[in-house]
Amino acid sequence: MKKLIVIISFFVFLGTVHIKAQAPLDTLVHKKVEVRVDGLSCPFCAYGLEKKAVGIAGVDSVKIDVEKGLMTLKVKDGKVIAEDDIRKQVKKAGFTPGEISYPDPD
Amino acid sequence: MRKHQIYILLFAILFIGCKHETGWVFDHEIILGDVDPIGLVVRNDSLWVSDVKNNRIVVLDFQGKFFREYPGFQRPMHINLYGPKIFVPEFATDKLWTINGVETDTISLMEKPDGAAGVSVKGGKIAIADFYNHRIILTEGKRTTIIGKEGHNDGELYYPTDVEIYANKVYVADAYNNRVQVFDFNGKALGFIGEMDNINVATGIAIINNKIFVADFEGNRVLVYDLKGELLQTLNSFLDKPTDVFVFGERLFVANYGSGSVSVFIKQGL
Repeated sequence: MKKLIVIISFFVFLGTVHIKAQAPLDTLVHKKVEVRVDGLSCPFCAYGLEKKAVGIAGVDSVKIDVEKGLMTLKVKDGKVIAEDDIRKQVKKAGFTPGEISYPDPD
Repeated sequence: MRKHQIYILLFAILFIGCKHETGWVFDHEIILGDVDPIGLVVRNDSLWVSDVKNNRIVVLDFQGKFFREYPGFQRPMHINLYGPKIFVPEFATDKLWTINGVETDTISLMEKPDGAAGVSVKGGKIAIADFYNHRIILTEGKRTTIIGKEGHNDGELYYPTDVEIYANKVYVADAYNNRVQVFDFNGKALGFIGEMDNINVATGIAIINNKIFVADFEGNRVLVYDLKGELLQTLNSFLDKPTDVFVFGERLFVANYGSGSVSVFIKQGL
């Protein structure tokens, strides 16, 4: 019986590891998220994007690089930012969201 | 006979004077340093500039010498001067602030904008360019009138960034429709200005002495119109992503977001 419990526990552990390995990228914990946004030329657009992005759950601060067309979101400690939320807010700001990447995956 | 000759001479002087009026010519540039300017107004001998990057209003002299700053504004945009007060719309918080001497205060708004980009105050009227709602909020006391809605047709706006109340009309920098649109106080659309002039983001507007000045941000130009919409002059040198315009006496000041400077033009031929 004891042996059976050990075997079951082992398989449960393996299953957990597998689930974690298969977890989608946007549910992992990251410190920063980078989002490509084209057409960021005027200050109203850039600061408008900032205005919308600070409203995303889990965002600590927002940095916009107009020249590179890049928005960097600093994530609050222990929080996760959903990619869908990012895309939604970028669209609200009047832009088409581009590639979302994670410069410092944990 | 002598009196008659004097009249002819005076007429000739006036006629020649008018013939030589060529408008505005570049005079000098004021380097602002670590400032990303959006709006500007001039009062007495000082230049008031909203520094959107550093969340402040800076006050300088005409040579760019720093006088003082008002920190703590959240993304201040197109500021406005009325009486002794400077009006400051905050793009990030949608609050409207006033600066009067060393004192700052807020004005409560019945209708909240989403992206307060510009403000104009005349008499008891306050007009705010509501960027994300594609409209102008016009208030007078407890009465609020909504001007415009999202779109590209008559009476519709697309990301307005600045507004000016002038001669019982509301002039809107209809930025991404690339034009200025004119309304009455009831929100009725009266017409367009600059629609045929290939404006590429009509970002700022100022109206002084029956002349309309439009900052064409991507076109690196300032266009000067009369009130009927006839193009009088195009300034296209010494400008770098212009965002706002202000006329003070015989001088025209243009805020350059691109280079962090203010270009000064003077009237020629008057």
